[in-house]
Amino acid sequence: VNSVTIAVEGMTCNSCVQTIEQKIGKENGVHLIQVSLEKKIATIIYDSRLQNPGSLQETIDDMGFEASLPD
Amino acid sequence: MPKHEFTVDMTCEGCSNAVTRVLNKLGGVQFEIDLPNKKVCIDSEHSVDTLLETLKKTGKTITYLGAK
Ligand SMILES: [Cu+2]
Ligand SMILES: [Cu+2]
Repeated sequence: VNSVTIAVEGMTCNSCVQTIEQKIGKENGVHLIQVSLEKKIATIIYDSRLQNPGSLQETIDDMGFEASLPD
Repeated sequence: MPKHEFTVDMTCEGCSNAVTRVLNKLGGVQFEIDLPNKKVCIDSEHSVDTLLETLKKTGKTITYLGAK
């Protein structure tokens, strides 16, 4: 089990936050996701056998929100 | 080009921007988004299934209304 913080651009309100939390929360291997609108980040706790930071970043990006990994 | 109309459960600017991004990522589409009426009208040669799959990536509830 690992955790990653992903920067997320483009959220404007709480319903954006919920959309991301619901969609990503249902992905295989995601244990917990917490999105902060103010900080523009998503913190995800995941099973490293099923997900990795890149796959999670890509799934958020595919939803239409600009997501990037911390360097 | 065939024109397809969808309802997308959008509530804010963030949602409509997300729809814009996924459609632009797909490419080969021209579209109009009507946020107040929660409608998206797409001009495209892509199949309705492809368009539905693409819109569903946003995590929103999507309904196909038909060709226009
Ligand atoms: Cu929003
Ligand atoms: Cu929204």
